[in-house]
Amino acid sequence: MTNLHHLSAVELNKAFVQGDVTALQIAEYFLKRIENHNQQLGAFLSILGPRMILKAERLDLKRSQNKPLGKLAGVPVAIKDNMHIAGEITSCASKFLKNYRAPFDATAIRLLEQEDALITGKTNLDEFAMGSSNENSAYFNAHNPWDLECTPGGSSGGSAAAVAARLSLIGTGSDTGGSIRQPAGFCGIVGYKPTYGRVSRYGLVAFASSLDQIGPFATTVADVALTMEVIGRHCPHDSTSLDLPAESYSLNTTLADVKIGVPYRFLENLKPEARANFENNLHVLKSLGAKILNIDLDILKYSIAVYYILATAEASTNLARFDGIRYGIREKEAKTLDEIYEFSRKEGFGREVKKRIMLGTYVLSAGFQDAFYKKAQKVRTLVIDAFEAAFAECDAIAMPVAPSGAFPLQSINDPLEMYLQDIFTIPANLAGLPAISVPSGFDSRQMPLGLQLVGPQLCDVPLIQYAHAFEQATQFTRKIPPLFKGSAS
Amino acid sequence: MTYLALDVILTGYLWMIMSKFNEKTLENLKKLCRIDCTPEEDKDILHSLGRVLEYVELLKEVDTTGVASCNYVLQSMLKNLMREDEIKDLLPREQFLSNAPDQIGGMIRVPPVIKGS
Repeated sequence: MTNLHHLSAVELNKAFVQGDVTALQIAEYFLKRIENHNQQLGAFLSILGPRMILKAERLDLKRSQNKPLGKLAGVPVAIKDNMHIAGEITSCASKFLKNYRAPFDATAIRLLEQEDALITGKTNLDEFAMGSSNENSAYFNAHNPWDLECTPGGSSGGSAAAVAARLSLIGTGSDTGGSIRQPAGFCGIVGYKPTYGRVSRYGLVAFASSLDQIGPFATTVADVALTMEVIGRHCPHDSTSLDLPAESYSLNTTLADVKIGVPYRFLENLKPEARANFENNLHVLKSLGAKILNIDLDILKYSIAVYYILATAEASTNLARFDGIRYGIREKEAKTLDEIYEFSRKEGFGREVKKRIMLGTYVLSAGFQDAFYKKAQKVRTLVIDAFEAAFAECDAIAMPVAPSGAFPLQSINDPLEMYLQDIFTIPANLAGLPAISVPSGFDSRQMPLGLQLVGPQLCDVPLIQYAHAFEQATQFTRKIPPLFKGSAS
Repeated sequence: MTYLALDVILTGYLWMIMSKFNEKTLENLKKLCRIDCTPEEDKDILHSLGRVLEYVELLKEVDTTGVASCNYVLQSMLKNLMREDEIKDLLPREQFLSNAPDQIGGMIRVPPVIKGS
């Protein structure tokens, strides 16, 4: 078989199961693509070549013995480097953890490998998942496969770039304020943030625990659905993991009688190009039978303020564990315990991480907690209530993924302007809602744009069905960036 | 009414303090966070935090009287999680120590923390 990277995960799995291709051929093919392209793309921080080959050989043996094969048998999967693979480095793109070897598998990883996925490597991210452009990686930038001068988005930029460039067919990400959906939108692929708690976070390095959620990247909605069937399971190791049976994701292609809410007033400042694309998307949804209605979500204009208080507050406590004592780097010059903390954190953390820890500590400090943290928690309640009221009228909410397509690297220097990039993705995290980013066209620079659909809590299955219907009615998924279309060799 | 008045006074007081977010606040914050910075980082962080704190002032205009704090996002799934108090999923000592930056005799080594020891 040639051009394996033009296939979806579902198709490649089928080809493997039918015996059209061996797991070893798949592994060698994608490792070759990674070898050829990673330098220009910066998608992977580490490539797990020998491990992947070994797993592939075992998988071929399994098939030759006619043993039952997993749902993801033969599918190459890239893992964001803030999730543990036992024995491998989990760097979180931080100097602090450059030598840290994970002592156990994250639940999501265990589930993926239980279903015979082939892990290609660990992908680049903003340090500790803090950022919207992948520029906060302590190692190197990741680049957008559609234009190498542009950001792939962040924080899961490496996984998004890897999947968009077909260096892997599935990627994992973690989404605290849009870190799966925004890079998916920027790279022209599908990205899914499940309901809070749907995927276990055991083995994910925590950023903001009331917001973090693991989810997949893929080139089609069907591949996202397949991955969710595998990783969307209850896990006793994560107390926030939902104790619900795993769901089966059958896919529809109609939106008859589905009511889609649009918060028109909240979207009134959309720039012309993003607006035109969004209007086209609504037209597609209508043509599939959906009813579009105006909903009031004015409260969402406070989302970013709420988010940057709560997320940094939680990060400041979560990152207190990086003290230079038990793991991570320890500054050799340090003579006292305090110096170990201070010097190790000085050397180990990048600027954005320091900034957020300080902001989080500030908003939690005595005298300020009521004005910042508690106030933000109350406004978060209002955000949740507003969504609940909206979902009494509609089945899903449509918004753009981001205010524009991918921006050039190094083009945004103002911290606030960077934070405002997440205006449309943060609300779903604040309210624990499932939300999906689906390719919806291209801007005048030929950079991808994305449509975001947001569903009520726990309604992961219908949301993915709506996204599938939209995808099937458009021609924007499965487009491969021209630079990466060619075969491996 | 009393609450509102208190709220106004408190917010005004905080605004006064926040407008003084300066080098001194930053130095204090660095101590609280156990983080040291380069002079260049200090300058950037001071500027950025000032900008962000100014922005989050926006929340003051939201009336949150009588609104409960959000402590858990999925109210419909809220329940206590209990388990037997039993030892399980132990990480072997050797494996745990393999990531430790400094160790001695199967334990993690740190500088003396008690004076005179």
